Amino acid sequence: MPIYKAPLRDMRFVLYELMDGDGLAALPGLETFDRTLTDAILDEAARLCETVLFPLNRSGDEEGCRFENGTVATPAGFAEAYRLFRDGGWTSLACDPAYGGQGAPATVATLFQEMMCSANLSFGTYPGLSHGAYVALHGYASDDIKALYLPKLVDGTWSGTMCLTEPHCGTDLGLIRTSAEPREDGSYALFGTKIFISAGEHDLTENIVHLVLARLPGAPKGTAGISLFVVPKVLPAEDGRPGLRNAVACGSLEHKMGIRASATCLMNFDGATGWLVGEPHKGMRAMFAMMNAERLAVGVQGLGLGEVSYQNAVAYARDRLQGRSLAGTKAPDRPADPILVHPDVRRMLLTARAHVEGCRALALWAARVLDDALHHPDPAERQAADDFVQLVTPVVKALLTDLGFETTNLGVQVFGGHGYIREHGQEQHVRDARIAQIYEGTNGIQALDLVGRKMPAHAGRYLRRFFHPVAGYIEAKSADPELAAFVGPLAKAFGRLQQATATIARRGLSRPEEAGAAASEYLHLFGLTALAYLWARMAEVSLPHLGAADPDGFYRAKVATARFYMERILPRTGALAAQIMAGGRTMMDFEDAAF
Amino acid sequence: MVEDIRRVAVIGAGVMGASIAAHVANAGLPVVLLDIVAKDGDDRSAIARGAIERMLKTEPAPFMSKAAARLVTPGNIDDDLGLIADCDLIVEAVVERLDVKQALYERIDALRKPTSIVSSNTSTIPLGRLVESQSAAFRRDFVITHFFNPPRYMRLLEVVGGPDTRADALDAVTAFADLALGKSVVRCKDRPGFIANRLGIFWLAVGVAEAAERGLAVEDADALIGRPFGIPKTGIFALIDLVGLDLMPHVIGSMAGALAPDDLFHRVNRPVATVEAMIRAGYTGRKGKGGFYRLNRERGKVKEAVDLATGDYRPERPARVPAIEEAGRSMEALMRHPGQHGRYARAVMAATLAYAALLVGDASDEVDAIDEAMRLGYNWKEGPFELIDRIGVDRFTALIVEDGLPVAPILRTAAGRSFYRVEGGIRQVLGLDGTYRDLVRPAGVIMLADVKRAGEPVLKNGSAALWDVGDGVACLEFTGKMNTLDPDVMDLIVRAVPVVAERFRALVIYNEGSNFSVGANLGLALFAANIAAWGEIEKLVAAGQEAFKALKYAPFPVVGAPSGMALGGGCEILLHCHAVQAHAETYMGLVEAGVGVVPGWGGCKEMLARWQATPKHPRGPMPGPMKVFEIVSTATVSKSAADAGDLLYLRPRDGITMNRYRLLADAKAMALRLAEDFATPVPPDYILPGPSGRVAMEMAVAQYARLGKATPHDAVVAGGLAEVLSGGDTDLLQPLGEDDVLALERRVFMRLLRTPGTLARVEHMLETGKPLRN
Repeated sequence: MPIYKAPLRDMRFVLYELMDGDGLAALPGLETFDRTLTDAILDEAARLCETVLFPLNRSGDEEGCRFENGTVATPAGFAEAYRLFRDGGWTSLACDPAYGGQGAPATVATLFQEMMCSANLSFGTYPGLSHGAYVALHGYASDDIKALYLPKLVDGTWSGTMCLTEPHCGTDLGLIRTSAEPREDGSYALFGTKIFISAGEHDLTENIVHLVLARLPGAPKGTAGISLFVVPKVLPAEDGRPGLRNAVACGSLEHKMGIRASATCLMNFDGATGWLVGEPHKGMRAMFAMMNAERLAVGVQGLGLGEVSYQNAVAYARDRLQGRSLAGTKAPDRPADPILVHPDVRRMLLTARAHVEGCRALALWAARVLDDALHHPDPAERQAADDFVQLVTPVVKALLTDLGFETTNLGVQVFGGHGYIREHGQEQHVRDARIAQIYEGTNGIQALDLVGRKMPAHAGRYLRRFFHPVAGYIEAKSADPELAAFVGPLAKAFGRLQQATATIARRGLSRPEEAGAAASEYLHLFGLTALAYLWARMAEVSLPHLGAADPDGFYRAKVATARFYMERILPRTGALAAQIMAGGRTMMDFEDAAF
Repeated sequence: MVEDIRRVAVIGAGVMGASIAAHVANAGLPVVLLDIVAKDGDDRSAIARGAIERMLKTEPAPFMSKAAARLVTPGNIDDDLGLIADCDLIVEAVVERLDVKQALYERIDALRKPTSIVSSNTSTIPLGRLVESQSAAFRRDFVITHFFNPPRYMRLLEVVGGPDTRADALDAVTAFADLALGKSVVRCKDRPGFIANRLGIFWLAVGVAEAAERGLAVEDADALIGRPFGIPKTGIFALIDLVGLDLMPHVIGSMAGALAPDDLFHRVNRPVATVEAMIRAGYTGRKGKGGFYRLNRERGKVKEAVDLATGDYRPERPARVPAIEEAGRSMEALMRHPGQHGRYARAVMAATLAYAALLVGDASDEVDAIDEAMRLGYNWKEGPFELIDRIGVDRFTALIVEDGLPVAPILRTAAGRSFYRVEGGIRQVLGLDGTYRDLVRPAGVIMLADVKRAGEPVLKNGSAALWDVGDGVACLEFTGKMNTLDPDVMDLIVRAVPVVAERFRALVIYNEGSNFSVGANLGLALFAANIAAWGEIEKLVAAGQEAFKALKYAPFPVVGAPSGMALGGGCEILLHCHAVQAHAETYMGLVEAGVGVVPGWGGCKEMLARWQATPKHPRGPMPGPMKVFEIVSTATVSKSAADAGDLLYLRPRDGITMNRYRLLADAKAMALRLAEDFATPVPPDYILPGPSGRVAMEMAVAQYARLGKATPHDAVVAGGLAEVLSGGDTDLLQPLGEDDVLALERRVFMRLLRTPGTLARVEHMLETGKPLRN
């Protein structure tokens, strides 16, 4: 039986000891989120995820969604779980109090998301997409639309979707064909087909609010001619209650590698009634507002899946008896030693552990700064915080999902053949993790976003928000002998990152393809350096607690994992730097016909 | 024989007359400025006197220095016309009325000395009419000198002689305009509008009419008829706002009245109701309450633009012209771009270039004269025939044939060829007779562009090059974006010094960009700062210090030859030269404080040495550093080369060249003079005041801060500057060497660069081109 226990101890460590979680309540609008309330939320979230959502994870995967007569049935238990989820107020956690939300910090919401992704990623896509729709409407819709839709999205009686992709266009949204014809009453009639629409149709809520990218008549070519529309499945009557069925319908379900309990729909808009959100032709702006929030959330999916996979791998490695330790028998009373004793198993487990704990710190860092960006009273601080979030969003998305995929694969490997069969649940994590590297902008697109947009913005101002604190930390701590084992490797990786950054920026000026060729490796170099910084700080925070003050060995394990990271994972930056410096010629000169 | 022009009179103290007088004074010549007797008040010369006073406050300044203003003697025609008796040139710039001018000429003729030359600044009256009733002697000595506004800054001078004008009068005026006034003289025939306005007014008229008739937004029209054709971004409408809408009907009317009935001008000269209504309502452009664009102060300084269809103002918006990008850099693709914007670009530019071709043999026989007139009179980057060459003569001809425009004979002559070509490294131009002739520079003119066309550089990298400009002189050219200075420039300097020492006698630092150098490459520096590459940045600072020191202590003379802006590092390199030959329009300054740092490439060091050594200044360790502090903390930029002398950015032995074209030759001559008995300078010692001096400087800044004239970060930056200029922790007994001051510069530079206030300043400068006051 797969297990999952929310890692509350580590979450609280990162939140309170590393990321100044107690400072959240000092931000205007977050006053109530002191440690008492936050801890209560986390405890309750853990209970929900462990006892309600996690038990449906494997069954949901086995059963999948069913498409019958134009409607979609979610797997057994999902509807009931969603009712509990909604009644518990979880749909409103990070929403604006003006629309019935609880106004929780992004930091708290991120921890909750992680638990939900560990417990049941498929389930999480339904409220996740609703939240994306909420963000776009909240940021850009008219007051009338907000008054009508937001309270229902916030309280979870309605859910939402984002309808972007079409059969012929995914990443390149400029090619969108779905059209919106203005009607005399101010509404629009939408025509077109959208694919890969998560939660496009299901039986969890009484209405589904589709946010649809489409073109107005005579719109300019490309992304400058795309507008955003709100298209409800059921047209709200005057009083806001569901009225007539709108001309939008699910045409089929996709058959997927993973997240099989998430309904991925083809949606047909056949003259469906919609209303413009924001200004004509400015749909991409609202879409990106949603997308940026979602990209952080998708990164957390990789983290959550890595965590649950790691927990199961550790449990299995303790139980499973095979062979004897190379250093001599460890369990003479048993037929064989637990596989936990074997170096390669320990390598896999520590790699997974370091990935998960490091990524949690990175996700929380981004979320914590996002809270500053949203709530800090000083506009200069908000600007600086927003710069940082802009910069690290692609890193969080791509690094956490890539490492999440690596971690879940290690989780299968630790199980051996038992990881490859379905009963133990480990292979599901791999399949579920795979999509996170693809959707909300493939990881290749994230890397291009980092080097093409974020790096050159304002002559590197976004970079400053990361490079200066890290450089300052290295300068301040480099003379501390206790930290030498951590700050030394960090400084080395940071130097590589500086050099790679300057090189890519310079080469990219004259040959953009060089920046493109270096992008993925650069994102990983950036990400691993960021993790090294966080591991150094985690070690620094933990060192004073070693010994008597550390009865459960939490801090000892933290410092040990930090050492492992510095010695066994961070050296990957050397290879990445070499790949980057080599340039892209071998790829770009390769003849197309020879592929 | 060409007689020297040593004294000048200008009659008519309107905007043009007064500014012409000011520019004569800029050349260092005494000038009499006369206007009619003032009606009111005791001062009968109040009009001319008032014009001089006004000019001292005008921006852009007609005078290059206050000293120049003192060379202008005001007067009135009734009492002081006798002053013209010892003038060699008498410039008439009175109202454009034939009767007034003719009457004035008679009075002038009675008083002037026999060898003097009389010129008119008319732009609309034919020379023949002006002199029809004058004496034969007057007709021999009479020319038209058509200045462009503002005369100090516009480099074009159109000179027209009549059938009776003596050749040496034309030559004398030309030489005077060239050498003393720094003008590029284009000889024109006595035809309406001469060259530049004949074509320029045609272009503006067709630009307005087509935009109105095709329903274009003025922003889009200006974007189209601007950068894509190498024309200033003011395009059509913003340019008319500058010139004045009310002047247009006057000039257009005089041209329409004087041109033959079959002239193409009549086809494009169509009345535009909106424009006529605007002029009637007093919307005359920038000088009035607004024009096609205006700043609506009632609505809190909202930028607005006119809707050409209705005549109403609406908020100004950014141009939206996808055709420009879709055309790439091809002018032809833009003119053939389907859609309203492409058709507009074509309607305006095809007609304008076709008309330019029709002017050959009419307004001028030389296509290069027409090109020069448009480059210097309208600031086009390339003249009409250079533009046609770029499109291709045959492709252009095909285009205008499609449009039913007349094909000028010169286009037929040029068929299958181009107007310009390079033969054996020499640029040639096509003549009316169908043969090419060499474009020969006048004596005393060397253009680096010619040198570059003819040969290969001695050294070169991505940001600088070293050229052989003859007679044993090498020329260091900056080639980076806006001639910014970066590690490559420093690298090339260090490599150049031994090469020049071995193979040349002297080095000139010169380039033909619109600005000598705007200083360090800030984008590069900011990016490096943003990624905390402090070590790299400090290395670059040190490299610059070493490179400039290598120039200063080179075994050969180094002459800097700036024109336009020489800011920050661009100023510092000049401070290290043994002498500077500056174009009169040189704007020098250590502007580092504006971006939140101190001069780090030896600028502090050189300025301290200059102010410490100047004999005019009080002695002692304090006055010199204090003066440098004043200049550098306020990022003072000279308003001209003459003004730079007051700041000691330039020294008395440095030279000033009025004509941009003569700068390299003058600098080269100076370098060769210096090479005759060159001795490497002796490094100075510095006696600096130390901490007590620093406190005095900081108190001065604190005072400004209290008055609200210095911002919080100004105080931080000034504090750093005070530390450098006072010599750090030195005391009066201990002289510092150059390297000590350089180390201080580096230390403070690096410290300031790490502050958020400085990073914000650099970023703001990069993104807006303006200093941030934080």
